[in-house]
Amino acid sequence: MLSKDRRALIEFVLDNLVWLMLVIVLAVFSLTIPQFFQIGIFANIVEQSTFVGVMAIGLGIVIIAGNMDLSVESVAALTAMVTGILFCSQGIGLGYTLTPEWLVLPVSLIIALAVGALIGATNGWLVVKLKMNAFIVTLAAYIWVRGLVVAISGGRSAQDLAPSVRFMAIETVAYIPLIAWLAIACFALFTFIMAKTPFGRHVTMIGGSPVAPFRAGIKVDRLIFITFVVAGAVSGVAGWLLAIRTSGATANLGVGMLFNAFAAVVIGGVSLKGGIGQLPGVYAGVLLLSSIHTAINLMGLPAHYTQMILGALVLAAVLIDTLKLQVRQRLA
Amino acid sequence: MKRLLRTLIGALAILGAAIASPAWAQSKGTIYYMVPTLLDEFQTESVSAIEKFLKDVGYEPVTLNADNKTDLQQSQMNDVINLKPAAIILAAVDFNALKPSIEKARAAGIPVMIFDRQITTTPSDFTSVAGTVEIGYVAAGEIERLLKEKNGDVKGKVLQVLGDPADPYTLDIQKGFEEKMKPFPGVQIISLPAMQWEASNAGTIVADQLLANPDIDLIFVHAAHLAVAAVASLEAKGKKPGDVLLVSSNGAPVGLDLIRKGWEQVEVEQPLYAQAAAIAMFADKVVNKQELKPGTYKVLGLDSTLTIETWGPNLKIPGAAITKDNIDEARFWGNMKAPTDPITPVE
Repeated sequence: MLSKDRRALIEFVLDNLVWLMLVIVLAVFSLTIPQFFQIGIFANIVEQSTFVGVMAIGLGIVIIAGNMDLSVESVAALTAMVTGILFCSQGIGLGYTLTPEWLVLPVSLIIALAVGALIGATNGWLVVKLKMNAFIVTLAAYIWVRGLVVAISGGRSAQDLAPSVRFMAIETVAYIPLIAWLAIACFALFTFIMAKTPFGRHVTMIGGSPVAPFRAGIKVDRLIFITFVVAGAVSGVAGWLLAIRTSGATANLGVGMLFNAFAAVVIGGVSLKGGIGQLPGVYAGVLLLSSIHTAINLMGLPAHYTQMILGALVLAAVLIDTLKLQVRQRLA
Repeated sequence: MKRLLRTLIGALAILGAAIASPAWAQSKGTIYYMVPTLLDEFQTESVSAIEKFLKDVGYEPVTLNADNKTDLQQSQMNDVINLKPAAIILAAVDFNALKPSIEKARAAGIPVMIFDRQITTTPSDFTSVAGTVEIGYVAAGEIERLLKEKNGDVKGKVLQVLGDPADPYTLDIQKGFEEKMKPFPGVQIISLPAMQWEASNAGTIVADQLLANPDIDLIFVHAAHLAVAAVASLEAKGKKPGDVLLVSSNGAPVGLDLIRKGWEQVEVEQPLYAQAAAIAMFADKVVNKQELKPGTYKVLGLDSTLTIETWGPNLKIPGAAITKDNIDEARFWGNMKAPTDPITPVE
C-alpha cells in the first residue's frame, strides 16, 4: 500500500514526465555537444518553438475535444501570405502603411486572427452542422488552403515586412525575442482557459465522452464548433509570427510543421482519443523537439536523423502514455 | 425539315468553334510542360516563359504541376503519353525515377525535352540546362573571390545551407561547389539542409550556427527564398549588411532585392528565360525528329553550346553571377522583364 505522499509524487511525475524528459535531454546535450550549453542556444530553442508551439495549441485543443484538425499548417501559411502581401514592401507585397505606423501591428494581427478563424469556422460548420468527419474535412482544408496560398501568391514571395511589425523578431527581453514571448503568453492564456474555465473543463469532458456532457445540458455542438474556430484563429497567429520571423512569406512557408505539431501534441501527453491532455505538456513537447533540431544542427548530422528521432520519440511517447495508464490503474 | 435544321446548327457550331479558336486551327500540336512544383518562383516564372515562347512558335502549351511528388509526376507522364502530344517538356522532380517514363514516352514516338534538370541516365531528344553542378562551380568561383577580398586569401568558414536533402538539384549544386573548393584547405565548409526548402528551417540553421560558429565568414544558400530567412536571422542577431557575406543561387527576385539592400553579395542565376526560349527555338526540329547540329547558338543573346552527348542533344546556357554592378540587366529573370520579341525557330 503506497503512502499518500508517495502516491502524490508518482502522480506528479506521471503528469510532468515530458518536462523531466526535456530536462534530461538538455542536460545530456549540454554535456556532450560542444557549444550547446549557452544562453543564446537556449534562447534559440525557445524562439524556434514559437511557430509549431502556437500551432500545437489549436491542434491540442481540438484533439482534447475528441476531434482532429489537419488544416493548421495551411491556415498558418495562408495568414503568413496575407500578412506578407498586405504589409511587405518587396516581391508581391503591396506595402500598405497605416498612420500612425504602429497600427500595422494590431491590424495585421487582427486580420491574421480573422482569416484563421474564418477557415476554422468553415471546418467547424462542416463537422458540426453537416456531421462530416473532422479528419476528412480538415484534410481537405489542408489541401485547398495551401492551394489558395499558391493561387493568391502566384507562387511568388513577399518580403521586407514593415519595421513596425518586424521589430517583434528582433527586439529581445531576457535574450528571448518578443515573438517567442508572445507564444509563451498564448500558452499561459490557453492553459488558464483549459484548466480554470467552464469552457476548458467542458471541452475536456466532451473529448472524454460527448454523451455525458450532452445529457448534462452542455451545448456539445457549439463547443466543438468553437474549438475549430479557436484552432483556426491560433494557427492564424502562428502564421503571423512566421511572417514576422522570416520578414515575409513564400508559398511553401510552414511546410512540414503539421507533423511537428502533431508530434509535439502526442509527446506532450495529449491522448489522440480525446479527453486527456494539458497544454503545458504540449509546450514541453515542442521545446523537446526544438532541442533535438538544434542539437542536430550543431552536430552537423544529416537532417534525416531529425525525422528518425522524431518518429522514435512519437512512438516512445505513445508507449509511455500506455505505461502511464497502467501505472495509474494500479494506483487506483 | 428537322434534319436540315440539325445539319445547319451542326455546321454553324463547327464554324463557330473554328472562328472562336484560330490558334487551335493553326496549332502545330500540344506540348505538355511537366513542372515539378509551383511553390518556387523559378518554376512559376518558367511556366509563364515556356507557355509564352511555345505559343510564339505555334504550339499549344499545357502545364501539369507535380507538386514535388515523384509518383504524381510519373502518373502525369503516363496520362500524357496516352494523349499523344507533339512533345513533352520535363523538369523532373526526381532525375532517376522519371527515367522509365521518358523511355516509355519515346517508345510511343513522343519526343521528350528536358528542361533545367538534366537527366543523363537515359537518352532524351533535347536538353536545355544551365547545369546544376555548374551553378555550384560559379558559386565557388565567386566565393573564392569574396573570401580573398575579406581575408586576404581563400580561407575562412562557410555555412552552406542546402535545400531539401532528398532533392538531387541541391545535391548537385553542393557537389559542384565542394569539388571546386577542395583545393582550398583553409576553407571550412559546414553544410546543413533546410528540410523541404522551407524558409524558416533555413533561418533556424543560420541562427544556431551563428552561435556555435560566430566566426562564419560567408553563408551560401541554395535558393534565394532561403536567403531571405537567413537575412532575417542575421538581422535578429544584430548583424548589419556585409558583416557576414551572403551568396545565393537561382536568381529569384528576392535575391536581387537582397543585393540591392547590401545583404547579399552574389546571386548565381539560372538563365531561366534563355533556357525556356531554347526549348521553343528547337521545338520544331525535335517534334519533326530532325537532326540537331552541334555548335554555338545565340539564345536571347547568350552564346550557348549544343553538344551531342550520350543522352542526346544538350544545350548548355551559361549561368551568370549577379552582383551589384550588373544587377539591373534585363536578361536576369529576377528583374521580371520577360522578353517580348517573338522567338524564331532554329532553321
